[in-house]
Amino acid sequence: MSNLLKKEGEEADLSTPLLVPIKRRSFFMYAGATAGATALLLSGCDDDNEDDKTPAAGTVSLGMGDIGVLNYAYALEQLEAAFYAQVIATPYANMSADEKTALTAIAKHEAIHRDFFKAAIPEASRIPGLNPDFSSITFTSRDSVLGAAKTFEDLGVAAYNGAGRLIQDPKYLLLAGKIVSVEARHAAYIRDLITPGSFSGSDVVDANGLDQALPVSTVLAAAQKYIKETINGDNVGK
Amino acid sequence: MNLFNIISELEKVDPEIMDRLSHRRSALSALGSLGKKMALAAAPIAIGSAFNKVLGQNNLADTTAVLNYALLLERLEYSFYDQALKAATLTPTLTGAARTAIETIRGHEQAHVNLLKTALGAAAAPEPANGFDFGGAFATYPTFLTFAQAFEDTGVRAYKGQAGNIPRDFSPTVGGATVNVLTVALQIHSVEARHAAHIRYMRRGAAAGAQANIMPWIVGKESNGAPAAVYGAGNPVATFPAEDNIMQATLTLTTGLGATYSAEDVSAAFDEALDNTTVTNIAKSVVTF
Repeated sequence: MSNLLKKEGEEADLSTPLLVPIKRRSFFMYAGATAGATALLLSGCDDDNEDDKTPAAGTVSLGMGDIGVLNYAYALEQLEAAFYAQVIATPYANMSADEKTALTAIAKHEAIHRDFFKAAIPEASRIPGLNPDFSSITFTSRDSVLGAAKTFEDLGVAAYNGAGRLIQDPKYLLLAGKIVSVEARHAAYIRDLITPGSFSGSDVVDANGLDQALPVSTVLAAAQKYIKETINGDNVGK
Repeated sequence: MNLFNIISELEKVDPEIMDRLSHRRSALSALGSLGKKMALAAAPIAIGSAFNKVLGQNNLADTTAVLNYALLLERLEYSFYDQALKAATLTPTLTGAARTAIETIRGHEQAHVNLLKTALGAAAAPEPANGFDFGGAFATYPTFLTFAQAFEDTGVRAYKGQAGNIPRDFSPTVGGATVNVLTVALQIHSVEARHAAHIRYMRRGAAAGAQANIMPWIVGKESNGAPAAVYGAGNPVATFPAEDNIMQATLTLTTGLGATYSAEDVSAAFDEALDNTTVTNIAKSVVTF
């Protein structure tokens, strides 16, 4: 299941191997181990950190190269999937039947994206399951939920758009492309629920008719408040 | 020219041609009356895309060709919305929030045209001499939105199909600024997807026939009255599957992810790409240019 990349490499289509060489893969195993070690180290230091009110969840490094981009996407999809699962589990007051149908579908799409990345990234270099922090969201409030959904969807679109050029393997670029337009459809729908006609408002689409494309650091800075672990994306795509 | 002779000739090249044609015909007959009108308009593409082995592929030579292809599609879209906003037949119905939304979308398409022209400079292809003729697209508000959905969803598939053909480090200076062409293409791509979602949302409204089954995303390969080819496979099918595809990389996502997901949800979670030949054939099936 988690060996998709390896499996593909073993198949006949070797002209464009999904992952460049073993060297890289073994590097990521090493990188993954480091991430784990950092987490251990941080929790070990917890006693000394008097300012911390909650236990430190540790730092998760996304890794480098294409694997870093895949982990980046996996982290964001985990966040979205967890969010919509909660939205469906505890629906806000007066959620219409139409909204429930659409939000349930979006929850499924995000869960599928999350599970797809989990299956596609080799276990040795895959980041762990993250712990979301939705304490800033009031799930009983339509405004709060849709506001957060808008943030997540627009951010997701901007993240994929910004990461496209970091991807070395065209197959991954195509996969990212297949997902980002669905995120954009979600974003447009959520925006129209909040303010009809705001599907491509000037806060996200500029005068050149271009959607946002944000660097990894900007996206992670915005997403960090929703994730307990500290995400390090310094080497994504490098 | 005898159509049956052509098909018989094609059979020699592609023995499965009749299967595909008759399958397509039965698919078309299942459509409603509006669907039939669109289907009639789409007949050339039904035949064209049926013999994929002969036609259909990604064959743009370089980034300039990719950008000129994008320019043509953007010009087509701009012209479509511009004509719609000026069409007397739509004056009574394309009003209020709907008109505002279409003006917004037209503005984006115009901006895309301008941006691509600037990026191409002297290499920009000229506009089609006789413009774009959309036939009966503006006859009614529902027809207009059906065409709009077809163009937006096709546009999303078209950009996606070219992403891999743009070198990721190609960052020329445009208007004094360094511009990464792949990033810009992706930025246009997601705006087209936003348009598509909104148009689909508009089709749920009472004036458009209250089609509450139409979601902002593509479920299976439901065409909702648009030409079936918009949601069909491109060439090669392994790279450009139909929109009801449930396999990504080597995984079957309905059953292969440790949880069970419906084919509807899986297909909707991923938009599929199309090669430029299939896209151009779709465009030519409903537009004269």
